Amino acid sequence: MVDSNHKGEVVFENVTRAVQTKKTETIILDHCSFVIESGKLTVLIGPSGCGKTTIINLIAGYEKPDRGKVLIDGKPVAGPDRERLVAFQETALFPWLTCYDNVMFGPLATKVMTREEAHEQAINLLEKVGLGDFLYKYPMQLSGGMMRRAELARALINRPTVMLMDEPFRGLDAMTRELMQEYYLRLVEESHGTHLFVTSEIEEAIFLADRLIIMTNKPSRVKHALDIDLPRPRIASVLRSKRYLELKALTLEILHEEAVKASMASGKADIAIDSGLRT
Amino acid sequence: MSASTLNTTSNLWKQVRKTVANWTTVRRIMSVLLFLLAWTILVQFTGQFHQIPTPAAVFAALFQLKLGVIFTEIFRSFVRVLCGFLLGLLIGFPIGVAIGYSRIANYLLFPAVEMVRPIPPIAWIPLTVLFFINIESQIVFLTFYGAFFPIVYNTMGGISEVDIRLPRAAMSFGINRMGMLWKIILPAAMPQIFTGMKVAIGITWLMVVAAEMIASKGGLGYWVWYHHTVMEYPMVILGMGIIGLCGALCSVGIDVIGSHFMKWRNIF
Repeated sequence: MVDSNHKGEVVFENVTRAVQTKKTETIILDHCSFVIESGKLTVLIGPSGCGKTTIINLIAGYEKPDRGKVLIDGKPVAGPDRERLVAFQETALFPWLTCYDNVMFGPLATKVMTREEAHEQAINLLEKVGLGDFLYKYPMQLSGGMMRRAELARALINRPTVMLMDEPFRGLDAMTRELMQEYYLRLVEESHGTHLFVTSEIEEAIFLADRLIIMTNKPSRVKHALDIDLPRPRIASVLRSKRYLELKALTLEILHEEAVKASMASGKADIAIDSGLRT
Repeated sequence: MSASTLNTTSNLWKQVRKTVANWTTVRRIMSVLLFLLAWTILVQFTGQFHQIPTPAAVFAALFQLKLGVIFTEIFRSFVRVLCGFLLGLLIGFPIGVAIGYSRIANYLLFPAVEMVRPIPPIAWIPLTVLFFINIESQIVFLTFYGAFFPIVYNTMGGISEVDIRLPRAAMSFGINRMGMLWKIILPAAMPQIFTGMKVAIGITWLMVVAAEMIASKGGLGYWVWYHHTVMEYPMVILGMGIIGLCGALCSVGIDVIGSHFMKWRNIF
């Protein structure tokens, strides 16, 4: 059960967000409403280009909604804040700082903890994500997977109430990705914070999620929300359970509909709608 | 000789083969030799270029060089280059930062910069006489001018091309505006700022030579021009070579300073 003291409930109320170019206006989110429950790991999944990153940017405070409200614990988002941190696509570690200095950056920027406290936690976190031997390496000296883990540690040391993961494991090979998911789940199950994880991979989404939000194609809304009732702590064997396969089939079906719509809309391919995964 | 020493010498030879005496080195040396050969042939066997000294004549001139004189000239040019370059950095860098970092500064300064920039620095030579009476000041002004725009442009460009996610991340961590500039924007823009400095020091040498040839106030440019007037062409070519060497030395200097500031870039 979720402790009522937990903060970090995110509410989207009729949010509309459009991007203007000189001639056209592209609506990315259209009267989009949903709730991200506090203390849970919510995974947002949808066809590529459906505005998932925009949702992350709105919560983080990098963008503002054109209409509607984004509320955190009842208050509208005013701008970027250390309560809401992002692990970026690809990674945005500061390349001129070592792994250790990257992690220390947040605590030292605001001085919410002493250097000694920060040092202790940084070492602790980096060891937990398997970077204990790489403290003084620069990001360029690390592999893709290591960079993602360092970025995770850099955000988590600040104990954000909402952790935003923007396709953080994109571009990693299958093996590394699996390992990253396990590292990540271990950290989430310890941290009890609110997590929003954006991905376009169904397996990843179901394996990680407490709750799955499926988006429609652009202009995006919530198409469906699913509670993923797989047991925790999750281990890889869950991927062979009957319930997992059921949930996967259901998600695929919903996503397939959107994918067909998307390809019809863009006119790039003409897929026969009757074919596909429906049985 | 025992077997073990034989073994080590053969190992040493293997090392030498691997690092120095390999085909890559031979080809590189051939490149230089071919250039000198082409030069010699062109001079010896064509009527057009017969007045130009051969590489051998230039090499011979090296021994007639009066060291005291040449080092004075080198020193003079170096001082002018460094003064001009440092002035360019001192004035150009803050302007570049302002244009890149502040929208208001961008609107106020950028159009003016953009208007003046396309004028080749050498075209300013006649006008500098009006700015300064002192010839030394005129030369330093011209070298400064050569350094100014590359520094402004690359500083500005480096700042505006910083990956948006880096300042965004820093913003979320709660950094203030000054911290953002010093701890995020400038380190991220550093590689391009140093590229600008490298371009700038090259143009600075160009300007100093041009200015010295006209001004008759000493320096390497003047030295080359003087030997042209007395038709000692081996010395002219030697002087050209020395100018090239000085330019290369400055460029390497910037690289060394750069790699000191950007340790994270040369870690391999």
